[in-house]
Amino acid sequence: MAELIPFRWPKEWADASRLELLKGTPINCLVGEAPPPFPLGNLQFVKLAKGQSPEGVTVHEGVWPRVLPASTKDAAEAGATGAAWVDSNAGVIRMAQTLEPGKAVWLDYEAPGGNEVVPLDRFARAVAEAQAYNAHWIVTLSPPFLEGLEKKSQEAAGAWKRVVAAMNLFQAHPEWRTYEPVAALAVVSSFEGEVQLMSEEFVKLAPRRHLAYRVFRTADLAGVSLDQFKGVIYIEAQPPDGEVRKKLLAFAEAGGLLVSPQGLVSGEPSEIRIGYRIHRAGKGRVAMPPEAWYDPYLLMGEVHQLLSHREDVVRVWNGADMNSHFVAPPGQERGVVHLIHYSSGTTQPVTLGFSRPYRRARVYTLDGSRDIQPEAGGLGIEFPVGEFSSYAAVEVQS
Amino acid sequence: MALTAGAGLTIRVGAAEPPAEVSIARCPAYGEGVVKVLGQMFEQLGGIGKLVSGKRVAIKINMETPLRDRTGFRPAWYTRWTHPDVIRAAVVLFSQAGAQRIRILESSCEDDHPLEENFVIGGWDPDRILKAAPNVEMENTGSLGYGKQYHRIEVKGKPYIYPAFDVNHSYVECDVMVSMAKLKEHRLLGLALSMENMLGITPPTIYGESAAYEEPSIRPYGRRLMFETGYRQPSEPSPKEVDPSSPRDPGYRLPRVIVDLLRARPVHLAILDGIETQTASESASVEPDSARKIRLVKPGVLIAGWNPVATDAAGAAVMGFDPMASRGKPPFEKCDSVLRLAEEAGVGAGDLRKINIAGATPDSVRFPFRQQG
Repeated sequence: MAELIPFRWPKEWADASRLELLKGTPINCLVGEAPPPFPLGNLQFVKLAKGQSPEGVTVHEGVWPRVLPASTKDAAEAGATGAAWVDSNAGVIRMAQTLEPGKAVWLDYEAPGGNEVVPLDRFARAVAEAQAYNAHWIVTLSPPFLEGLEKKSQEAAGAWKRVVAAMNLFQAHPEWRTYEPVAALAVVSSFEGEVQLMSEEFVKLAPRRHLAYRVFRTADLAGVSLDQFKGVIYIEAQPPDGEVRKKLLAFAEAGGLLVSPQGLVSGEPSEIRIGYRIHRAGKGRVAMPPEAWYDPYLLMGEVHQLLSHREDVVRVWNGADMNSHFVAPPGQERGVVHLIHYSSGTTQPVTLGFSRPYRRARVYTLDGSRDIQPEAGGLGIEFPVGEFSSYAAVEVQS
Repeated sequence: MALTAGAGLTIRVGAAEPPAEVSIARCPAYGEGVVKVLGQMFEQLGGIGKLVSGKRVAIKINMETPLRDRTGFRPAWYTRWTHPDVIRAAVVLFSQAGAQRIRILESSCEDDHPLEENFVIGGWDPDRILKAAPNVEMENTGSLGYGKQYHRIEVKGKPYIYPAFDVNHSYVECDVMVSMAKLKEHRLLGLALSMENMLGITPPTIYGESAAYEEPSIRPYGRRLMFETGYRQPSEPSPKEVDPSSPRDPGYRLPRVIVDLLRARPVHLAILDGIETQTASESASVEPDSARKIRLVKPGVLIAGWNPVATDAAGAAVMGFDPMASRGKPPFEKCDSVLRLAEEAGVGAGDLRKINIAGATPDSVRFPFRQQG
């Protein structure tokens, strides 16, 4: 079955002529409580009831992707970082893909309403954000957007064009959807019980520090190869036991960093860093915190520090209020870094750095594409990506 | 032999003359050549051995946060941070001169990472510095760091704003204090040189925007806004302002806080990296309403001196400013002159006529920042 690309059909649209809007776009699926009262041609209709997901799909509530608007003049809402708070759907999507593998992930949310005016060109970011993480936002046009289309306003027409441009960009690169996240860190957790909040928040907040990771359920660990990772964080209330313990200790002994709750190993640590007791284990290390974890943002920073920023798979400069998501096929001879910019306006000139010596890169934005040349950096290769608004993809190749 | 070098400046050279206080040298590019140039400058200053031999040397570099911000595409080492090649050159020369231990220091306002990690975040391998000589260390002094408690340093003489400061242990566990800054402008202070660099010895856990009131925060975060506006006092139990009713004008306060700091933690050697830098701002941006834009420039100059006031005065002259300008005149349009205040407080001479300069003259390497943009 072809991948479904969903669009919420506005209840107000009772006229088949409205389908013209979708002609020539990748949208192939209308979503709503009931099908529109006219033939849909090649379009499929999917009934979406609250709390229920269509077959093969898992639907999750999302948030309008953005930096939270200022509550006082010249100030954005502060987040855990002390920097502006970013509402991102990255964590929700990654969690859904982990907990319900094999299902398509759809995000269901609307643009903020009430007194808040959302510029229509932000809708393309919502489309791109979801697709960058290999999911789909159920495109849901706001009343002002619908009104603008009705009145044939330039702003609405231009914004719709960008929404379609975002979809087309991903349609033109189906291989990107087959790529896997590139990361030095594996996050292992049951994502249940008393650690659910800690582990899920870790996954949600890590993009704020450009900390790349892959997520695994503890129950699935037996079938997972940890060879590609430099570190594993095991987020449970108790240290691992049985086969999980054996596998994780083997990972450390082979040279990795295992961050585990207290009690995994005993005796005097070889080192204490940022309060963590670090024990040598073969060629690697086991790091245990001084007390039970209580703050996912702090934990994320501690893990990043224990692992070292040297292990970052991609470095981003001038990437504030931005997520980076590096995906690649096995071997990583090529790959693509998705950059989602959550602030309004254009970015500062963005630079990406890689330890791997990629030789070529091409930047794709919603306005076009261009080649960029590598430059020698202090820690490897750097690519001057440049400025963009909302979204850019940087395709790299060895 | 004495040479006149413009602006009434007298340059003394020759073996019979007393050592110069400031040395200026052309240095067109970063790389291994910086070691040679800086070594010659130290010789012009009378040799570095007498200062560092057998001593614990602390080098306060300039690596202002945000760590991931760049001016355009250019790494911050070339625009607003002390370049690692200059740091490395000093490390090599200090070590050759017999320094017992060399500790590189900077305080991050955004994290309590080891300083080594912050080099990596900035895009540089710290091992190139750490392995340049034996006994080289790094510490992020934005918090307690590797120390167990903060240490109080008291202002010598009558303080302008604060009677004392509480700082990371590394600023007292040293015999020699080096301030190594970029040759650059500051949006408020006019100059962000070796004196301004010393603002960064204060830990944001006590003086930053997220400093707790009852005690220092555990982790550093936020600018040291209290120095500028006096909107609050440092965390308990750190010393409070001597006169909370003094002007809250940042242009009054900030230069005075700097002079207080210099009298609490004297600097023995100041080095200015003007090989590559930027104009108009100490950070990666200017205010949206600024008439100026940041330009990336290559003055190709290094400046070093025993006294930070004299060294910064020479730096100001190289940048095309009158070091003794008063408030309202470039570069001090928005603030009192930190050079004048420092001279008045007896920290050093800001008047070029009182400074012995060796090597190149300010005129010969002048690079007028305001004409660049």
